[in-house]
Amino acid sequence: MAADNAPDRGGEASASDEEPIKNKVLVVDDEEDLELLVRQKFRRRIRKGEFEFVFAHNGQEALDRLAEHNDIRLVLTDINMPVMDGLALLSQLEDVNPDVRAVIVSAYGDMDNIRTAMNRGAFDFVTKPIDFNDLEITIEKTLKHVITLQNALQSRDRLVAIKRELEVAYQVQTSVLPAELPSCETHEIAARMIPAREIGGDFYDLFEFDDQRIGLVIADVSGKGIPAALFTMVTRALLKAAAKDSPSPAECLNMVNNILSQDNESCVFVTLFYGVLDLRTGRFLYSNGGHNAPRLRRSDGSVEELEATGNLVLAVEHGHEYNEEEVQLAPGDGLFLYTDGISEAENEAAEEFGEERLDAALASVEDPSPEGMVASLVEAVRAFAGEAPQSDDLTCIAARLRALSGG
Amino acid sequence: MTDDIRLKVQIEREEAAVVICPSGRIDGSNVDVLEKTIDEQISAGEKALIFDFTDLNYISSAGLRVLLVTARRMQQGEGRTLFCALAEHIATIFEISGFKSILQVCETRNDALAAL
Repeated sequence: MAADNAPDRGGEASASDEEPIKNKVLVVDDEEDLELLVRQKFRRRIRKGEFEFVFAHNGQEALDRLAEHNDIRLVLTDINMPVMDGLALLSQLEDVNPDVRAVIVSAYGDMDNIRTAMNRGAFDFVTKPIDFNDLEITIEKTLKHVITLQNALQSRDRLVAIKRELEVAYQVQTSVLPAELPSCETHEIAARMIPAREIGGDFYDLFEFDDQRIGLVIADVSGKGIPAALFTMVTRALLKAAAKDSPSPAECLNMVNNILSQDNESCVFVTLFYGVLDLRTGRFLYSNGGHNAPRLRRSDGSVEELEATGNLVLAVEHGHEYNEEEVQLAPGDGLFLYTDGISEAENEAAEEFGEERLDAALASVEDPSPEGMVASLVEAVRAFAGEAPQSDDLTCIAARLRALSGG
Repeated sequence: MTDDIRLKVQIEREEAAVVICPSGRIDGSNVDVLEKTIDEQISAGEKALIFDFTDLNYISSAGLRVLLVTARRMQQGEGRTLFCALAEHIATIFEISGFKSILQVCETRNDALAAL
């Protein structure tokens, strides 16, 4: 099989894996006999499809053949030929097909020309009279080199494409985050998002309604890269629109879910928590679509988990009924919403940060302001992770009720 | 059996179902390994799939998505998909995400086979 010649690529998947490797060689020589000889000597390998030969009788014909067959990998060329000689052909080869390598076939005594050819970029040479065993080895060695080079180029192009995609995903994702977070008499907010190298689909958001209520959102779209980033944008826009229409978080999740779950064959889903804090009463009303339970940090330092609403992630089940829960905040109490990039962050021993460490870190923050909470949690996760790579986005948003509004 | 450094997927054949046993971690970097194995089983016309998570330590949202797609595809073909032997951590993920309410989860493989 021709594919046996493919060099080991370290198990990396490649688009060329399925295609049989064509070892097409162009032989350029004005001696008519050579064509017969080559076909005779390599007949077995030609029959097995391991080698394919194309012939030309001078440099100009060779260029024509190269234009016809863009999959030629190796040119085997004589130097002295009519119309266009081998050295002239060599100088043009690079322009016609930069991936092709040339091997010079010339008389043993023709060392000056062979040296010139090597200086013009020939890969190797064999001498006449041709030793076909030597020629076979040289052909194989050169083809291997060409294939390695082509694979390296393909890998590079793929990496460039991936990098570009990641940059777009990063821009899409960060552009949907609110630019400014308020700090005022009644409340203050702080947030962080530290995207992973392969960006995930986290986002947070903040809505302010008529100075009396604020909406807090945290969400995580399944998957990574551009598809996740686009789903993130759509989800955020839908929720924003729903939040304007309805003061009920559960109703908002119902609306968003019913739109997202239409024709969602690929089952991309989003875990989403949305709560509305009433600044006049301190009442926090929320609905949780399959997201990690946020924490309530009381002013005395105790930490509570917000009771689940027993609901499913969004975008999966059309018509799913989202429930609502509520909890009462007093001035000085803070809320901490986060994604699993925090709770599932791993250290070098592959242990998870986990919810116990999360609660302990929240309970012991020196500065219980929202900024203090997000900063010390991010720091705690980083200290825990050590040198372990960050595999998921690390996202959190915190809010603190300072005083009830007179409203 | 299909391999990744951190994920191995083993197929075991019971009389009434094909049992898919992933061990290690399922995340975005290797979820296609699991997807391919599942595809092969569905294409082969299997009508009952049981996922045995005894040796599964972690599953990311990318992995959960594939489980959802699988359950839906099986359902469309009048087939069944069951999940069993969830480690505590995986069970928590099923609980929080609400997947427990839409996917059929059993304690043990025998329970799953009996539920078919």
